[in-house]
Amino acid sequence: MSLSREAIVEGLRRIVGPDAVVTDEKILVESSVDNFRKLQNIFDVHTAPVPAAVVLPADTAQVAAILTWANENGVNVIPRTGATATEGGLESVVPDSVIVDGSMMNQIVSIDPYNMQATCQCGVPLQALEDRVREHGLTTGHSPQSKPVAHMGGLVATRSIGQFSTLYGGIEDMVVGLEAVFPGGEVARIKNVPRRAAGPDIRHVVIGNEGALCFISEVTVKLFPYFPENNTFLGWTLKDMATGFAVLRDVMVNGYKPSVARVYDPGDAGLHFSHFAAADDCVLLFMAEGAAGIAKATADGIQAIVDKHPECTQVPSEYIETWFNDLCWDASKITAEDERIRQTHNVNRTTEISADWSSINDIYQAAKARIIDEIPDITMMGGHSSHSYINGTNMYFNYFFNVVGVGPEEETDKYYLPIIGIICEETLKRGGSIVHHHGMGKARAPWVKDEYGSSYYILETLKRSFDPNGIMNKGTIIPL
Amino acid sequence: MSARETLRVAAVLDGTAATAERQARALGAFLREGLRLGADVKLVAATHLFHADQSGRESLLELAPTTDVRLIRTPALRADLMTAALTAFEAGGGAELFVFPGGPLGTELAARLAARTGGSVMTDILDAELSGEGLACRRRVYSNHLVGLFELRSLPWCITLDAGWSDARPSAPNEHVVQTVAELHEDDSSASGPLKSVEVLDQPTTGDLEAAKLLVVAGRGAGSRDGVERVAAAAARLGAAFGATRPVVMNAWAPPDRQIGVSGARSAPAVCLTVGVSGAPAFLWGVERAGFIAAVDTDERAAITGEADAVVIDDGVAVIEALADIVASERP
Amino acid sequence: MDHLRIVVGFKVTPDYEALRAPDWARAAGGAAESGGGPGAPETRYVRRVLGVFDEAALELALRLRDARAEAGLETSLAAFSVAAREADPFLQTLQALGFERAARVDPRAALDFAPRVTAAVIATYLRRIGSPDVLLLGSRCGPGESGAVPFLVADELGLPCVTEVTDVQIASRGRLRVTFAAGGGWIRATIAPPCVLAVGNAVVSMLRVPTLKDRLAVRERSLDVLSSGELGVDAAAALAGEPTVLASLETIDRERAGTIVAGRTPEEKARALYETQLRARLERL
Ligand SMILES: Cc1cc2nc3c(=O)[nH]c(=O)nc-3n(C[C@H](O)[C@H](O)[C@H](O)COP(=O)(O)OP(=O)(O)OC[C@H]3O[C@@H](n4cnc5c(N)ncnc54)[C@H](O)[C@@H]3O)c2cc1C
Repeated sequence: MSLSREAIVEGLRRIVGPDAVVTDEKILVESSVDNFRKLQNIFDVHTAPVPAAVVLPADTAQVAAILTWANENGVNVIPRTGATATEGGLESVVPDSVIVDGSMMNQIVSIDPYNMQATCQCGVPLQALEDRVREHGLTTGHSPQSKPVAHMGGLVATRSIGQFSTLYGGIEDMVVGLEAVFPGGEVARIKNVPRRAAGPDIRHVVIGNEGALCFISEVTVKLFPYFPENNTFLGWTLKDMATGFAVLRDVMVNGYKPSVARVYDPGDAGLHFSHFAAADDCVLLFMAEGAAGIAKATADGIQAIVDKHPECTQVPSEYIETWFNDLCWDASKITAEDERIRQTHNVNRTTEISADWSSINDIYQAAKARIIDEIPDITMMGGHSSHSYINGTNMYFNYFFNVVGVGPEEETDKYYLPIIGIICEETLKRGGSIVHHHGMGKARAPWVKDEYGSSYYILETLKRSFDPNGIMNKGTIIPL
Repeated sequence: MSARETLRVAAVLDGTAATAERQARALGAFLREGLRLGADVKLVAATHLFHADQSGRESLLELAPTTDVRLIRTPALRADLMTAALTAFEAGGGAELFVFPGGPLGTELAARLAARTGGSVMTDILDAELSGEGLACRRRVYSNHLVGLFELRSLPWCITLDAGWSDARPSAPNEHVVQTVAELHEDDSSASGPLKSVEVLDQPTTGDLEAAKLLVVAGRGAGSRDGVERVAAAAARLGAAFGATRPVVMNAWAPPDRQIGVSGARSAPAVCLTVGVSGAPAFLWGVERAGFIAAVDTDERAAITGEADAVVIDDGVAVIEALADIVASERP
Repeated sequence: MDHLRIVVGFKVTPDYEALRAPDWARAAGGAAESGGGPGAPETRYVRRVLGVFDEAALELALRLRDARAEAGLETSLAAFSVAAREADPFLQTLQALGFERAARVDPRAALDFAPRVTAAVIATYLRRIGSPDVLLLGSRCGPGESGAVPFLVADELGLPCVTEVTDVQIASRGRLRVTFAAGGGWIRATIAPPCVLAVGNAVVSMLRVPTLKDRLAVRERSLDVLSSGELGVDAAAALAGEPTVLASLETIDRERAGTIVAGRTPEEKARALYETQLRARLERL
């Protein structure tokens, strides 16, 4: 009883009007994948089922109508906003899916400097919100590398995290309330309060749902005072990651909250810091920010901690500051990277995991060694830790390989998935989490039961209750 | 040190190239406006006009920016023969300053002549001034972030002109005193030239950008290939030439021959409209001689807002399309 | 030619695009303050990058080698840079990519604005290793971007030189088919080695990447490092005699009125722009 493509388009047009339904073949084909299979778009070789339409709702009511209709007709819906997803969350894996693109819902609803919160629709680019709140001397504190291109809806839907997370937290620490639309058309609004203990924290059902439970239509996030003039940068070179992790741990355990706390392994450091770090150097770096007294105390405290590690050699802070000023990826940087891939067939991929302090170095070492040994054509295998907590940290594996002897459409099978497999195995073996901040998407969904263990019961029940007909982003988080 | 009374200048014009007219304009304008000699110094200038055959000679002569013209006949694309002829001229008295138009051939002749005569070479200069025993020249450095002031010491000074000079108004016609100096034939040199089986490719060129009166430029703020295509369509409706920034070209959102800026074309339109262009110096080089620049950009802090005469803060694609509608409706 | 010796010269520069407006202003102002010297931007803290045209030249050399290999022809590849240590990581990468010889000639002097001295060092080095069949260079490189170096080198070596090369293909009898920009258009022609090719806006602009195994395979190989003094060129002394000298740096004043056009919608703003600024100007075109 599934609808034909024509009937799907017709049904959507009735809801949102003809102009808000995109059926251009090229756009549909490009919309069948995200960055997980980005080579398919770069080389224009496509294998995924082509979606039936991209629909651009104008408001929450239209989203509700679309989801009601999709739920009744068993049409698979893929929510989308900034389209920067890296894990296949936007990939269509069943025929005739509909992309519900929230990028037209791009109004900043309110900025409330007294209560230090801002509300915006899902399609607001984070950069746009950040620029607006900066006019009030404030910041969202959220700064993922994709800040210029990712939108608020997607950032909440993926449980994203930014470069200043050690001070401000991940998106889950920033969202105070939100509005979401569920498959039956129910619109649920979670009010904006500082805290409550009125039962479970239902924000977390929505945050990180990756479009597999509901569509996020509006979010309210915290605001913070912005003191860029107090930013203080510190950097060191050192010879091994174990020391780097140990220093990060010391800083966290002693209660310091730098906004940036990172350690790069030699391979990854080579990409950013080769003008001051030797080929076998790791790089440890921090940024302290906030009110003057806090920034200074943080920087002084970190300095004292690292001074206790004579194997760390301090470098001028200008190196770190200059690096920091050029961190984010705008659309042009992304397409320039695509051009590099087109010409060189050299592809950069990343996989981020987390684990406690006891395991992180073992995971890093074991995964790295196996990947170099088992996967062909690797040109760089490295990574960094960029988000630390009292009980552990993350590892952002960063690796490059040449695609040799296979077409661009086979890159994931030959290289990317086997590498992800190794990283997931080594992480799970030591009790870590296989996803730190990019989301499960479809890429890591096959490992969902191992990731969740007995708590998979909760996840599965959520999915079954909120999306009984299974129309929300099939194959995401939970595999087909 | 005896005070200088004259400056002997050789302006070199490659009449074998399709760009002869632009070269002549550049040379003429530079001699008029770009070269400061000081009150007591007299300019003694001659044009060295390389030409390929007899037929086009008369019209080429019209272009010569000086009264004195020395005609040298040469096959096209023979930098080796041209260099030899100029070196011989220098050996027999020559000139103190050799001025070449900008571009690959000018660079080659200036560099090789300087190398062979022990002179100084300086390319793409903005202006020059006699200073003591030397020549002080300004040129862009650091991808157009800064201008450097250079001193040229050894004679002869071999300079090529910044591309901006070729946008200048043509010189008033001269009465020409013509001297035929040499005919350089294939067999004058050791052998025939280094290049064989020469094909002039029928590829699009940036000529329309350089000549444009009205120019529309898309930057990465146009957002996507689709956005850039819409800007190009609006430009066509406005009757404007269409250009793009390097990021747009690097992203394959527009073809390479559309590139404006240091590594692309340079334009001097009466009116230039930029759409989503941030205003990097390497780009601005391409449009900074525009009579009027209007910039449309969503970012009011973008550098371009201080570099434009008028600024619209909004979605560039929407504004340029609306503008094209307005202009279309106003046309008779 | 059964065997072709290709040598590529390249330069590594600070990533000038990472500098910001105040850095440039300081560069120009710094010179005035210190009273002497031309000043220079502070570039210690930014990454090093290959000159964009040099990168294209390196990749074109590799493609030429690959094309010749396919035709059963041998090629030897060498790369060099006139540079301080900062070029070493790039040279190591080139070794891993199959450049049999990777050399650095250390001038122990700042040659950024000294094309004549640079060319003299390069020509002397090339004579030392044996003048190549094909010398590939970038047509120009920051911060001076004179474009003169390839010609100066060619002249010293007595070779023809084509600049603004966008593509190189193999042709019969050891010749090369070269596409280049000249006289406002594009030309394709055949050239017989020995020759100098200076690469401009090439169709291929990005250098391929060696695998970790490629790198491992050449780990024991050292770079040829020699000072220009060892070549018999005293670069510092030559610099004093360089016929062109950078005296000072100025910022460029690009400021225009920047009048903001008001309106609520794109249509209104377009209308306002047209009425207040464009109508009369367009009528005059
Ligand atoms: C260059 C680059 C750098 C990156 N850097 C970071 C980083 O530093 N930190 C980080 O955390 N991530 C990073 N990412 C990943 C990505 O930007 C984030 O996952 C981001 O949160 C996605 O936001 P988006 O608006 O682009 O969402 P999309 O790509 O549109 O969607 C992402 C996922 O969320 C779902 N979704 C989107 N909108 C909604 C909605 N309204 N309701 C429900 N579900 C929705 C989609 O179905 C999909 O599964 C980076 C990606 C790139 C390409």
